Amino acid sequence: MKLEIDSFSGYRIYPSKGKLFVRGDSKVFRFATSKNASLFLQRKNPRKIAWTVVYRRMHKKGITEEVAKKRSRKTVKHQRGIVGADLAAIAARRDQTAAVRQQARLAAITKAKAEKKEKESKKSASRPSQPQGAKVSKQQMKGGKGGR
Amino acid sequence: MIGLKSTLNVIDNSGALLVECVNVLKNKVNNGHGSVGDEIVCVVKRARPISAATQASVNAVKVRKGDVRRAVIVRTRKQVRRPDGTMVRFDDNAAVLLNNKREMLGTRIGGIVSSDLRLKGWSKIVSIAPRVA
Repeated sequence: MKLEIDSFSGYRIYPSKGKLFVRGDSKVFRFATSKNASLFLQRKNPRKIAWTVVYRRMHKKGITEEVAKKRSRKTVKHQRGIVGADLAAIAARRDQTAAVRQQARLAAITKAKAEKKEKESKKSASRPSQPQGAKVSKQQMKGGKGGR
Repeated sequence: MIGLKSTLNVIDNSGALLVECVNVLKNKVNNGHGSVGDEIVCVVKRARPISAATQASVNAVKVRKGDVRRAVIVRTRKQVRRPDGTMVRFDDNAAVLLNNKREMLGTRIGGIVSSDLRLKGWSKIVSIAPRVA
């Protein structure tokens, strides 16, 4: 169903209603009722006739409710996972108490210390073996003081 | 409401400008009046002067003042009721000239025509016309 718009009043024209007028310059005008057609042919200005759509739009009639209805956008806090930490992980991290955190920290520190110690011992074990082959200092090689 | 003595503008390029209706060809419902899509017999009242170039070419149709021709009505001031109930009205009466085989004399149409022509079997004219209302 195609609805036309009245070219004078701006009313909708339902099928089988209204008149179509084609002016000499082949401009097409559609009228919903004979009242609209008559006023148009009297060359009335729809902007000066209070019930037409253009007048009401011009004088801001009947749109106050719509303005009141309009709401400003509120910012809503929202949580979601980011790269490397999904929502569950973040929630778990937040929910843990200070004691648990402290414990975790201590555990991490002791672990790190143990690791360090182990590394150190490994290093000390491996180091003495290395310089055994060549005990010549560099200065000696150059023919310095040590070579007398 | 095209009848005896009513004048119509010619909106094709046949050369005629203004024609006067002398007869509306009979169909069963017209009661002596023609409407959009009806065929009429008309007299050319005013025509474009025939230039030398058009006179030279053999197959060009020459429409002169005083010629009696067939034409089809394409616009009427009297409103016409469409099948869906809307009324359509134009600002003037207009016609397109035809030859004896009911084909257009001209090759072009300059102006809006009624879309009721298509219903009456003049779809050729509707397709040539620049605008349809």
